[in-house]
Amino acid sequence: MFKDLDPLLHSQLRLAIMSLLISLESAEFTFIKEKTNSTAGNLSVQLDKLSEAGYLMIDKSFRAKKPLTTCRITKKGIKAFEEYVAVLKQYINK
Amino acid sequence: MEAENQTLTTQQSLEIITRMIRQAHGSIKRNSVYLILWGLVIAIANVGMFVLMWISYPRPYLIWLITVPAWILTIYFSYRHGKNSVASSHFDRINACLWYCYGVIIFTIIVFGVKINYQLNPVILLMSAIPAFVSGIIIKFRPLTIGGVLFWIFGIVCFLVDGPWQYLVGAIAVTAGHLVPGLMLRNNPE
Repeated sequence: MFKDLDPLLHSQLRLAIMSLLISLESAEFTFIKEKTNSTAGNLSVQLDKLSEAGYLMIDKSFRAKKPLTTCRITKKGIKAFEEYVAVLKQYINK
Repeated sequence: MEAENQTLTTQQSLEIITRMIRQAHGSIKRNSVYLILWGLVIAIANVGMFVLMWISYPRPYLIWLITVPAWILTIYFSYRHGKNSVASSHFDRINACLWYCYGVIIFTIIVFGVKINYQLNPVILLMSAIPAFVSGIIIKFRPLTIGGVLFWIFGIVCFLVDGPWQYLVGAIAVTAGHLVPGLMLRNNPE
């Protein structure tokens, strides 16, 4: 019996964000935007969704008087990502 | 990456995960500046020490003062890297901690040099093998890993020679273990 893939992660941009952050300690908004090739608006919305689910921690601060958004994956996020990959493996190996 | 609601196939999901994990690998080139700087400074200091001892200069150790500007430059480069860093990986942190530990240990060895009868060069060369070898594996850069092995070999050679020759061995070791891999890393297309 296959589990359902987490709908929050089963989306192109959100999966890309989580896959990027899983290997990093933290990353700035501009870095994620560049690497995922997304627009600022869309990225912001998807980051908020992941943050509301507790998958990400978003830290807003300032650097040289400019706003700075830093994201890092949470333990809940790591667990969700690992479960997503495990279910994905089941589908691939069926 | 705009189509948020499109259904992903397992293959597409897998491709996204693989591509993004690859994207997360930072630039390894920035490590090269420290290897080149310290490789060059320590090689010059060692050669200088060898020459000054050879000509019986009364205070050959004064050549090591050239490490003072190297420290200032290192602090400046680390500050600039920290400021411009937009993402940091766990490997970046492990790699940085490895070199910090190395710095602290080398400093301790130098301070307590009298306790080991100033047989500093062989010990420092052997210690240098660890961060070069491990760092080479972390950043997947074989010349640095080979540099680590060369440090170990030159460390042994250094135990077998005396006096000024130890400094010449030290200069060759640091050139082979830090300077050359640093220059290769800088010219590496990644």
